[in-house]
Amino acid sequence: MNREDDSVAWPLLTRREALIGAGLGVGTAMFHLHLEPAAAQPSAGPSVRFDDQVGVSFTTNGRELDAVVDPRTSLLDHLREAQGLFGTKKGCDHGQCGACTVHLDGERVAACLTPVVQCAGRTVETVESLERDGELHVMQQAFIDHDALQCGYCTPGQIMAAIACVREGHAGSRDEIREYMSGNLCRCGAYENIVSAIEAARSKMEA
Amino acid sequence: MANFPNIERVDARAKVTGAPIYGADRTTPLHALLAVSTVTKGRLAAIDTARARAVPGIRLVATHEDLADLTSPGFLLSGGYGFQSFAPMLSDAIVHRGQPIALLVADTLEAAAEAASLVEAAYVEVPFSSKINSTGATIIPQAQSPLPQQIFRDTIAGDAAGAFGAAATTVDVTFHNPPQHQNPIELVATVAEWDGDDLTIHEGTQNSGALKFGIARMFGIEPDRVTVISPQVGGGFGQKNSLQMQTALVAWAARRLGAPVKMVVPRSQLFGNASFRPESRHRVRLGADAEGRLTAALYDVDAQSSRHDLFPLDYTNPAARLYGIPNFQGFQRIVQTDVQTPGYMRAPFEHMATFALDTAVDEMAAALGRDPVEYRMALDTDRDPVTGLPFSSRFLNACLSRGAEMFGWTGRNPEPRSMRAADGQLVGMGVGCGCYKAATAPAAASLRLDADGRVSVAVGVHEMGQGIRTALANAVAARLGVHPSAVSAVIGDTRGVPQHTTAGSWGTATAVPAVVEAADKLLEELGPDPLAAMARRGLESYETRIERRAPGQPEEPARALHVGRPAPWGPVYGEFVGFSYIAHFAEVLVEPSTCRIRVPRIVSVVDCGQVVSPRTAESQVKGGVVWGIGAALREATEVDERYGGFLNTDIAEYVIPVNADIGRNEVAFINEPDPRISASGVKGLGEVVMTGVAAAIANATWHATGRRLRDLPIRPEHLL
Ligand code: FES
Ligand code: FES
Repeated sequence: MNREDDSVAWPLLTRREALIGAGLGVGTAMFHLHLEPAAAQPSAGPSVRFDDQVGVSFTTNGRELDAVVDPRTSLLDHLREAQGLFGTKKGCDHGQCGACTVHLDGERVAACLTPVVQCAGRTVETVESLERDGELHVMQQAFIDHDALQCGYCTPGQIMAAIACVREGHAGSRDEIREYMSGNLCRCGAYENIVSAIEAARSKMEA
Repeated sequence: MANFPNIERVDARAKVTGAPIYGADRTTPLHALLAVSTVTKGRLAAIDTARARAVPGIRLVATHEDLADLTSPGFLLSGGYGFQSFAPMLSDAIVHRGQPIALLVADTLEAAAEAASLVEAAYVEVPFSSKINSTGATIIPQAQSPLPQQIFRDTIAGDAAGAFGAAATTVDVTFHNPPQHQNPIELVATVAEWDGDDLTIHEGTQNSGALKFGIARMFGIEPDRVTVISPQVGGGFGQKNSLQMQTALVAWAARRLGAPVKMVVPRSQLFGNASFRPESRHRVRLGADAEGRLTAALYDVDAQSSRHDLFPLDYTNPAARLYGIPNFQGFQRIVQTDVQTPGYMRAPFEHMATFALDTAVDEMAAALGRDPVEYRMALDTDRDPVTGLPFSSRFLNACLSRGAEMFGWTGRNPEPRSMRAADGQLVGMGVGCGCYKAATAPAAASLRLDADGRVSVAVGVHEMGQGIRTALANAVAARLGVHPSAVSAVIGDTRGVPQHTTAGSWGTATAVPAVVEAADKLLEELGPDPLAAMARRGLESYETRIERRAPGQPEEPARALHVGRPAPWGPVYGEFVGFSYIAHFAEVLVEPSTCRIRVPRIVSVVDCGQVVSPRTAESQVKGGVVWGIGAALREATEVDERYGGFLNTDIAEYVIPVNADIGRNEVAFINEPDPRISASGVKGLGEVVMTGVAAAIANATWHATGRRLRDLPIRPEHLL
């Protein structure tokens, strides 16, 4: 693969095969793929065009939404650029850092690896959903109390992962928390305090 | 000085709720991406953008043929503002792999990405050198380089060669460190917006001042036309300490298209397009006399730079200040290779300098049959061996004795391979010391008190997770007798006061005394009850402004603050020399068959002067220890000499520590104010915390296994 390709979050053919191969229910989505003849360069294959937008309906933070999206768009880019929900962060765009962790039907997923069309009919919750009537979620408060953050950039993803980690029953001990939180990188190195925050929030969440 | 209260991080609530506080957290109508060079050196023979231009939604495709009207911002370390002097896309020259060759702007990110993938380039390639021992790499002794010699000369105390020749016991060891990349989790990103002739840039940067003046230079416009806003940085670690390559490109596109443009640089491109810790090699020779006294140290360093810039080396200065070795000779050589210019990454020189020197000292202690802690304590000094000046303060021995007690050092069997855990793993215990210069910088500060009791300060500093907003609030609150939550700060924002680069661990020692001085001025002008005084005079608000220089700093170098140039001062202050110190005690477990190394426990005791924000300071120590563990056991950017550039350009393959890698870290502070470095008694913390960690881990690994490993990172395969 040449270096230019690295900047493409989703190689087009792979994406198309992924979407079609997975037989995803995308509701009213209509794909119009224009296969064009190869360009002059002998090395170039047919280029696939996504001229047409796709309709997709899903719920974000309790709000129902009928969105029209580019079928290549990730849930992460859709949340940030289309919905203006900037709490979900891009740290790698490759499923490697966890900064984009959100809940899809209650389970943690990497929003950068989730095509938005895959969310059709489903429920997405982001960090913005946690505060209710000015009151923080116990996990948010525990992150503050234990100073489980520094620059704060990984923090929304850590918190969404941490809540899921407790709900999954993977927060039984410090060692278990460390293991099940290892998909969320923190370059500032707040790990020890993150474990302490999750330990403290776990008992309150289970109470 | 009274201890400061342990308040919660003042911006923690914004951070746990996902508030839009970072540069890229805003909506723009246009999105930009880059296509980058797939070769390392030569020139662009042809670039075909026809297919990119045909992508629906594409608004702009630009190459060097379009951008020639910009000029280089110059290199930060030689009178400029950029992380390197080479600005891409101003000509057809290719000087490092991964440099931008085309700029794509589209209505959507997806269209920009598609277009970037369709740019076709042909190159004329020439031979290149990637590593410090590659054919064609150019070696330049720093003392014979064009760099200013009063700063970058060799580090000399006494007669090291003579003392080494006369030594009864010697150690002669060589260490190596690969290139490493900072990898903050926030990607480098720019949002640029023009309003007529006025440009506003939102970007997470440690140096909004350099962006302002550097962009003005590149565009040939008045600096007053440029505003840079960076209230929160999602981690910097040195990567964001200067003008990056994309900022001007985004601003150029926004002007051309008449609309705001955003670019979030993909991480894979940052490995080839931003600074990094250069590859380096270190030889340490130590000599001890018949009584075991360390009399001589000779320290030779080779470290990588680019062809187009000389990145100045400063390994030997901290090494000479770690212990009282009377005869010291530090000699550094810059090795020019075909890469982007390397730069500062947390404890840029001090991490490797203290790893090399402290590990060599550990080997000397072992050769002499001395206890590693006792031997280090015998090397204490209250005078700087290089200048003969006193240290402003130095509590390294207090760090060692306190740490030894917290760690339970007396339970260590001195014999290597002598200790086992219940499950059969080899147990190793090691100590490592580190130091970091206590530099400070000039600062301007303003402080406004409102009749409702709210305080707003503006000062030249950036918040990147170190907790400076919390330290400012705590210091101002203590001075004015208000609650810390009443204090807000305008920082990383060129609309306030001049912004200096926040790096080199001088942020707190620079910004805290400045706001405290502004508060004192307000108290002087309004009296001890300023709100009552304001009520009497019918004032809604009252503002003071101060400007100060580093201790003993002349006017001329301090003026650089006003043109966005670095103006730090120290650690040699004329009458004294200032350093922060730390001692780490590490316990490692080595699994005997796989040789997997774990670090379940580290004790760290720090002498950083006065602690202004206890909670965030402790977090900063823990973070620095995580960095030390990463540097000791994980991180390396791989180079394939056939292709140049870097290979493992993502954070699955560039391995940084994850939660499961990190155990317990007990932290203590000496907390002795150093009023000579700064009026607030602060010395600096953010980088000294990483120094000495790798030495402690390597020394513990030797204790566990009997093997001395001197090339970082230490990996299981090196023990098998
Ligand atoms: S941005 Fe999705 S995992 Fe890193
Ligand atoms: S708090 Fe900075 S990356 Fe986690």
